[in-house]
Amino acid sequence: MLMAAIKIAAVVLLTGVTIAAFLTAPPLGGMQAGGDASRLFYFHVPMAQVSFVSFMVAAVFSVLYLRTRRPDHDMMATVAAELGLLFSIVALITGSLWAKQAWGAYWNWDPRQLFLFALVLFYGAFFALRQATPNLDTRRRVSAVYLVFGGAISPFLFFVLPRLYRSLHEDANQVVTSTQSTMSPLVGTIFGFSSVGFLLLYIWLFKLGVAAERIEQDAGHRTV
Amino acid sequence: MTASQTALVGVLIVWAGVVWYLVRIDRKIKRGGGLK
Repeated sequence: MLMAAIKIAAVVLLTGVTIAAFLTAPPLGGMQAGGDASRLFYFHVPMAQVSFVSFMVAAVFSVLYLRTRRPDHDMMATVAAELGLLFSIVALITGSLWAKQAWGAYWNWDPRQLFLFALVLFYGAFFALRQATPNLDTRRRVSAVYLVFGGAISPFLFFVLPRLYRSLHEDANQVVTSTQSTMSPLVGTIFGFSSVGFLLLYIWLFKLGVAAERIEQDAGHRTV
Repeated sequence: MTASQTALVGVLIVWAGVVWYLVRIDRKIKRGGGLK
């Protein structure tokens, strides 16, 4: 019942956000923001947020695995890492498309772009490492330690390091001195619904990923 | 139709495809008894 509500809410919210994103004025004014391309703000930022949440979920399940040694926790951590990687790749692509319009090039060596790309490489390497470790017990232990390390560095790569360097991302240059938002109420509302919608979509995908993994395991196939 | 309305129709078609695909997998998994 709860899952059904989550699925329906995700579809309704994200459909509403898509319609609002295209039918209202671009959220960020001025040519520097990329004009119409700034509508990507409603999708790019929530997807980056969800990828961060997913990397944290992966780290939590990895800690649980190291404490309990339950294979289910290892599987859930891996599904979370997969989804985090998926969302960060899409965030990177949407960010590049927007950057082309706003800053003139797909790749600008912007700290935020660079650190997100570093995370994509880090979690991409995780799956290479996992596949290259034939012993099941070693694979699970090494994976758990890797994902805990990933969870420890993610906050720095997402929030701290981009603020230490001059960035093309406007928010990264601002010293956070107040909690007051610079977004207009309409933009803030659409953005808020989008963040919640993507989070609910993530829960749905996570549940699907775990269920699919269980079926694969029951069938005796080794997947992730 | 303006450019953003045309883009909206395109994005909604893709989104409908994604939702249809997810619901299909969901049903398949439930039928297969994989969901607890």
